[in-house]
Formats: sequence, structure tokens, C-alpha cells
Amino acid sequence: MAAKPIASPIPVAMYPTLSVFTLAIGLVITAFFFIYEATSSRKNRSLVKELVTAAVASVFLGFGSLFLLLASGVYV
Amino acid sequence: MAARIWILAVVVAVFLSLSAFSSAQDLQIVNAERRIDLSSQIVKAFLTLKVENIGKDPVAEMLLAFPPTQIKHLAMVQALAITGKKKKKTYLPLDVKPSEQPDAPNDAGFFIVSFATPLGPGETVKLEVLYILTHSLEPFPVEITQSESQLVYYHDSAVILSPYHIKQQTTFFKTPSTRVESFTSIEPANRAGKEIKYGPYEDRTPYSYTPVIVHFENNSPFAVVEELVREIEISHWGSLQITENYRLTHGGARHKGVFSRVDYQSRRSISGASSFNALLAVLPPRVNSVYYRDDIGNISTSHLRTGFRKSELEFEPRYPLFGGWKATFIIGYRVPLEDYLFEAPDDRRYLNFTFGCPLVETIVNKLTVKVVLPEGSKDPSAVLPFTVNQDLQVKYSYLDIVGRTVVVLQKDNVVPTHNVPFQVYYTFKPIYMLAEPFMLVSAFFFVFVASLAYVHIDLNIAKK
Repeated sequence: MAAKPIASPIPVAMYPTLSVFTLAIGLVITAFFFIYEATSSRKNRSLVKELVTAAVASVFLGFGSLFLLLASGVYV
Repeated sequence: MAARIWILAVVVAVFLSLSAFSSAQDLQIVNAERRIDLSSQIVKAFLTLKVENIGKDPVAEMLLAFPPTQIKHLAMVQALAITGKKKKKTYLPLDVKPSEQPDAPNDAGFFIVSFATPLGPGETVKLEVLYILTHSLEPFPVEITQSESQLVYYHDSAVILSPYHIKQQTTFFKTPSTRVESFTSIEPANRAGKEIKYGPYEDRTPYSYTPVIVHFENNSPFAVVEELVREIEISHWGSLQITENYRLTHGGARHKGVFSRVDYQSRRSISGASSFNALLAVLPPRVNSVYYRDDIGNISTSHLRTGFRKSELEFEPRYPLFGGWKATFIIGYRVPLEDYLFEAPDDRRYLNFTFGCPLVETIVNKLTVKVVLPEGSKDPSAVLPFTVNQDLQVKYSYLDIVGRTVVVLQKDNVVPTHNVPFQVYYTFKPIYMLAEPFMLVSAFFFVFVASLAYVHIDLNIAKK
């Protein structure tokens, strides 16, 4: 009876590509966040918009750094 | 010489008188042939027995006896039942277990071999027993210089120690070279080239024992790993990282005098005959990121040859090892996860890996295998074909909150025949894999929230 091997949910060969793309997107959204902070005045700021941008950016940056760690050999 | 024969006669008489101890035996050994291979530091003995049931009832098991000095150094005992003749022989592995017999003469140790089917009265069965002894070759002279060859003693008995009557038996000793200084002569005993034959001996009573000593040259590498700690770290993101910490010594005759590098390099065949400078480690096939280093740093004297069935790492310590010299180093490598991690039918996961030391022809005095399971694993259990000491520890590694469970398996006196697969079972819910990226995401989110707070907080004293 052949046993079923368990592999990683994401193919290991894709880790470097995934890390580059997710980090790039994450950094772009971070840029949006800080540009919004810098250009808006105290009256026009929308907290919801800030938090949503921060959340999306941190998700992309978090996964990007995870894939970066995996691609460089630190299998966490 | 005369003193030796006198001691021999006394011992034989003592053991013959002890034969009255043994209870009525249902089994007798019709024919026994023992071949002992003394070519390397690991002594391998092959026993071919033809056992007959002379009693009236079926017998389900038989006893194998070993003298107390050998029991301490016994690394493995295996038994096979042979059926069929010539080309159509089939081998059936039998269950072998150590046992305590209360009325054993002179503290002999025993193993029970269970037959596949109970042996009926009048039936015979052919068995093949393999047992492996470690640390049984005693170097004599104890200290040698660089230009001398290594000579060792091997103590055994010309007659097989057994609780049963043996009708006919022969023992062969195979030495690595034709240089044999001396061997105890118990008629009929003779030597031809690399083989010493003791026998055939007829009609020996149970527990008869005639000690012999063979003094011969053995220049095979006496590589002994005093302690080996193997750590196998499982990462569900795709790899198995193995780190092995070795403490290696040369277990043969101790080196005395100076070490002359000039002599060693110019006359390599005579100088340091028993020393060794290269070792071979057999690694899994799809291995990558292999490193070999010690406390000083990386050691570059190594060659890795990857293959389809196995990879070979030939490495050299920083200096050749002579008797009593030590070397400490670390070998690490990575293998893909899908080769070794599987899903069991009851939804548990299990790791299927090889136990034992990857070095060839090496004895390990103390082996510790640590299997580090990923965070969130529960109910670990290990399944092995032989007995080991099991324990659980906790290890804190990258992105850990509660720590990783470590299954620690410890075994003494390990030889290359112990390189068999073993399994470690555990349960793991795949959702726990998200704990690590979630930790990173929340760390980044905290940075954003901190910058938000900084921007929003109004620290002006005066009202605008």
C-alpha cells in the first residue's frame, strides 16, 4: 500500500518568485499609506481608509517576509 | 604453554561437571557451523544450526546462550529459519528476545528464538543466527608506535556455548590478513591462509566451553564514535533539516612516541598502518546544502557524490587519526519533505527515516536521535524495530510561541546493521501552519498602527 506523501502547500520552487512579488506589492501599498499620511490634512483624514491600507500592506509584507525567509533557507 | 593447557583442562572439567545442572532438554543440535568474521572492528558471527526435537511434545522456542563477557558487547542478534534446498531456499525472519534464566551457570546470558511454527516431535529445523559484537577485539600490545602494525586479541570458545547437546560442530575464524601471531590449539585445530578451523567436535554436552585466544593483525580502521547526536527538524513548509554532532575516536591500540609527518607521507604503507584519515558517510539521495564543519570553522576536505539511490560524502578530519586520538565535527544536510513525511490511514502524519549512524563500518557508543516536530503537533509516538530509550523535550526555534515537541530516542552500542527505517507518528491540523505568517503580519501591522498613533496624537498645549 503506497503511503501518501505530504508536501508543502505551496511548491518549494515558487518561494523566491512569490516573495519578490508579495514584497513588491506590500511595499507599494506601504508607500500609498505614507503618502496619504503626508499629503492629507488633519480634517480630511479618514481613519477607516488608513486602517484598511495598513491592514492590506501588513498582510502582503508579512507573507512576503515569510517567503523570503523560506527562500533563503531558514525553514521556519 | 603448559600452564595454558593446564588451565584449559581445569575449566573444561568445571564446565562438564556443571552440565548436571541443565534440565532435561527436548531439543538437541544435530549440526552446528559457526563462521566468525574478524576482518573489521565489528565482529560478525554467523551460526548455522540444525535443531532436532527429541522430546514428545512440540517445542515453540529455543534458547541461545552467550558468555557474560560477550553479552555486554552484543549489538544485535537476528535469526532466520531456512526452508527449502539449494536454489529454492527461503529465509523467514524469527523473533529474538533477550531473556533471564534463573539457573544459568556462570551468569550466561540468553536469547529466546521463537519458531514460526512449533517444532513437532522428531522434526528438524535449520536456523541461521547472526550476532554482532562490538569492542571485542582487544589491542595487544596496548600501545604501538607509528611504524608498527596493530595486533589484537579475540577471546572466544572453540565449542559453541549452548544449553543443548551438540552432536557435531565446527567453528571457523576469518582473519583480515595472513599474519596470525598465535591461536590456542584445541585438537583438531588448523590454520589455512586467512582461516582458522576448530573442529569438527563430536558430542559436546550442554554448556561446554573451551576458551581460545586468537592473536592476529588487524589494520582495519577502528573508527568509534563516542557520542553522536542527530537532530532531525521537520518543517511543514517543505524540508527536513538534519544536523549531526560527532565525537570520533580511534578505538585501536594507543599511539605512543612522536608523530613524524615525514615518515607518514613518504612511507604511507608502513607508517600508520592502523591509522585512518578518510571516512565515508552514506546520505539520502536527494540531499542538498551539505556542510561539514567543527568549532574552528568549515572543513574543506570533503567530496560529495549525489546519486539516485544514495549520496556519498567522503570526508577527512583535519588530521589523520592514530590510536587514542579524537576529532569532533558537525555534518548537516537538508532533504525534501515529501520523501520522508507521509499520511497514515487514521489521519495522523508520520516521519519515515533511517535510524543509526550514516558512517560506514563505525561503532557508535551512544546515539541520540532527536526528532523536532513542528509547533502545534500533538500525541507524538515512535515505532522502532528494536528497543530504545524514549523521552520528550521542548525546543524553541524560529517564530515559536509555545515551543516545538522533540521526541528523543537514545540507544547504546549501535552498529551499521541498525540503519533501518523507523517511524514517528503525530497529529497536526494544517491550520496551525498559518500561525507563523500571522505572527509576521501582526508585527508589521503593529508598526503601521504605531505610526498612525504618532500622526494622530495632538501634543499641542495651546488650543488652535
